[in-house]
Amino acid sequence: MKKIDFHIHTVPTVSDSAFEFEMECFERYVNDLEIDAVAITNHDVFDVEQYREIKDRLGAVVFPGIEVTLEKGHVLIISDDANLDAFQESATLVSQEITSDTDSISVERLFEIFGDLERYLVIPHYDKKPSVSGETLNRLLPHVSAGEVDSPKKFIRNHKDTTRLVPVLFSDLRIRSGLSTFPTRQTYLDCGEITLPAVKSCLRDRSNVALSESDGNALWQIFEDGQRISTGLNILLGERSSGKTYTLNEIESRCENAKYIKQFSLVQQDETAYEKEFNASVQKNKSGFIDNYLMGFKGVLDSVMDIDLTANEKEVESYVETLLKSAELSDRQDAFSKAALFNEEMFPEVQTEELSRLIESVRHLRENVEYKEVIEKHIQLLALEKLAVELIETLWGKLLEGKKKKLVNELVSEIQQNLRLRTSAQPIEGVDLYNVAMDKKRIEVFGKIVDLLKRDEVIYEESIQGFKVEARKTAFQGAGEIREASGVSGAFLPAYQAYEKPYEYLQKLKEHDGLARADLYKLFTSIKYRILNKDGAEVSGGERSEFRLLQEIKDAQNYDILLVDEPESSFDNPFLKSDVNQILKELSTSMPVVIVTHNSTVGASVGANYLIFTKKENEGGSTVYRRYSGYPSDTELQALDGNTIPAHGVVLDSLEAGAEAYESRREGYEAIKS
Amino acid sequence: MKLLRADSGSGFFLDESGAYKKIDEINKVELLRLVDLTLNEDVEFDEYDEAVIQNTAHRIIYKSISEKLSGLQERKQQFVDESQRTFHIDYEKYGGGQASTPSSDESGEIESETDTDTDAV
Repeated sequence: MKKIDFHIHTVPTVSDSAFEFEMECFERYVNDLEIDAVAITNHDVFDVEQYREIKDRLGAVVFPGIEVTLEKGHVLIISDDANLDAFQESATLVSQEITSDTDSISVERLFEIFGDLERYLVIPHYDKKPSVSGETLNRLLPHVSAGEVDSPKKFIRNHKDTTRLVPVLFSDLRIRSGLSTFPTRQTYLDCGEITLPAVKSCLRDRSNVALSESDGNALWQIFEDGQRISTGLNILLGERSSGKTYTLNEIESRCENAKYIKQFSLVQQDETAYEKEFNASVQKNKSGFIDNYLMGFKGVLDSVMDIDLTANEKEVESYVETLLKSAELSDRQDAFSKAALFNEEMFPEVQTEELSRLIESVRHLRENVEYKEVIEKHIQLLALEKLAVELIETLWGKLLEGKKKKLVNELVSEIQQNLRLRTSAQPIEGVDLYNVAMDKKRIEVFGKIVDLLKRDEVIYEESIQGFKVEARKTAFQGAGEIREASGVSGAFLPAYQAYEKPYEYLQKLKEHDGLARADLYKLFTSIKYRILNKDGAEVSGGERSEFRLLQEIKDAQNYDILLVDEPESSFDNPFLKSDVNQILKELSTSMPVVIVTHNSTVGASVGANYLIFTKKENEGGSTVYRRYSGYPSDTELQALDGNTIPAHGVVLDSLEAGAEAYESRREGYEAIKS
Repeated sequence: MKLLRADSGSGFFLDESGAYKKIDEINKVELLRLVDLTLNEDVEFDEYDEAVIQNTAHRIIYKSISEKLSGLQERKQQFVDESQRTFHIDYEKYGGGQASTPSSDESGEIESETDTDTDAV
């Protein structure tokens, strides 16, 4: 098996953050990780001088290459010395066309530049961002040897799926001065000699690529020192202070996309704070649903937001008053007040919203692609177009009418002002009685809707791993609850006192300085979450932690590796055995999982694929930290320096407090049973 | 067509029957009709002149109306165009402006004011 890394950067380009290349570092990387072959693949650049220098210095096989920025995704083009001149020429053309981080080239241009791609090893970003996909990938496919991925989890997923490209995992490392740790993202290739044709030929068969030298994809190297872990379920054992958590932290630092559930992170001492945080976290997950639920009400609220019943009432009063006064003072009529426009009322505003919405709907029908066939079965597209045209013409007519009326209103208002300056007669204040009446009706309906909204009711239910999440709407029970829902400080008592009268309540909320009008819709009904256990009762503190652990583990699917530090510190054995173990085991079939534990329920029952045992040992007066590892079926676990330790003793010591204690417990249980 | 006339110390407007009525008798509906005529017909107005109109109430009304309508006359194309911006792209895309029958009197007006298809009106 040969270990290869065909994605390495040695020249900073516009696509990288600045770094300084260091040859010694490159040598260390290749030697420490025992890499057999590397390729130099800088972004859109190939430096032939540097390539020759690296080739002379490294003990490994070095290939010239380039990482080309395509319009959609990146692709590695790797050459060999036989084609060096042609490759260098092509790479120069790429460099000339890509001079900023927004430049890219098309696949067609790639073909033009590199000519016959069969001469090269072509590896697109596949399960790695920015990935080459869709039509671009289809065009490239005849020339592609493998697809690059960026984690062991993705490697295995692609390796198992024969419809996918053969995966390769590379470091994508910037070789720079000051690098203290190296990534362990390399691929083992089952080929005799390392030449470009041999590598290409090898990559045709997915059984030739693996994450480890002798254990296929069961193990992969996690640390530079050669330490490997399983791509499935790993149990990390060891006494206190032997380096378990340290090892877990180190694993996290080597993996870009790790989910790490730290010890005690799911239990907190302060029950009230915990409950609040718990509710907030559930609420956050479900906020999309709630927003959706209240969207209709938001529309209702928007339509009454600016209604001012007091102002309306004053307008009507003023109208009646001036009308009466005008009648009373009719003897004072003069040439100004006798003009027809003196008491003329304005044209009401022309409404076009409904028509605009209608046009939007027709357009929606006309432009919909997903259900085009169904739509066309019933309505001819041409008819829809004609309808749209006619509706648009009608809208234009209405808009023009509105503009004309607005112009006349301005004119009337101007004339009225001038006439009123000259007369002693009483002008009659205008009022739009229709609007006043409509506003009153709107507020009445608004009140009915708010009353319905406050009614106690379950509005959402979801079952999650045996628990049930329930969202319930109900009326606010005090000013504090409204404050909490608003997330804003300040006094809410005046608002709460008006809570029974929706319109008055709205006015109080509008007066509150800290509240944004767009968020007021959330303050009419209280939405509370409850998590119910299997028996339908509200969960206890412990059950709440269990729920959160399950949620966290479930969330791990979105990551490349899951690290769990002592789950037993927060949970009891039946829960660990029935729920946690099962989920962890299931998860480990698709991604690496590492669990630190002292608990036999987890450690011994979970069905681990690999054991790692950390031990602090005293050798000649100095402390040595060792990691022993092996399969659960191995009689001995082995450290990297060759030291071994009996597996049986390790397991009993770590999980059962030693053979003696285990034996005495066993006897104890037997006695109770008898 | 003369919409506003000033003589014998008073201001007058052209009413629906084609007769001239005193300007202080004008109401908003008649004003709207004058606006329509200004937009769609070739119209003219007697200039406002204090020397000609002695009636002070007439002066106030005549001055405002003549100024407003003259201003509208100068930018009548723009006035109409502004109301046709909404959904214009969709209108063009769906073949609007090539149809043979305008849908209403108002769209007929619009058609006549745009250069898209004058034959259609």
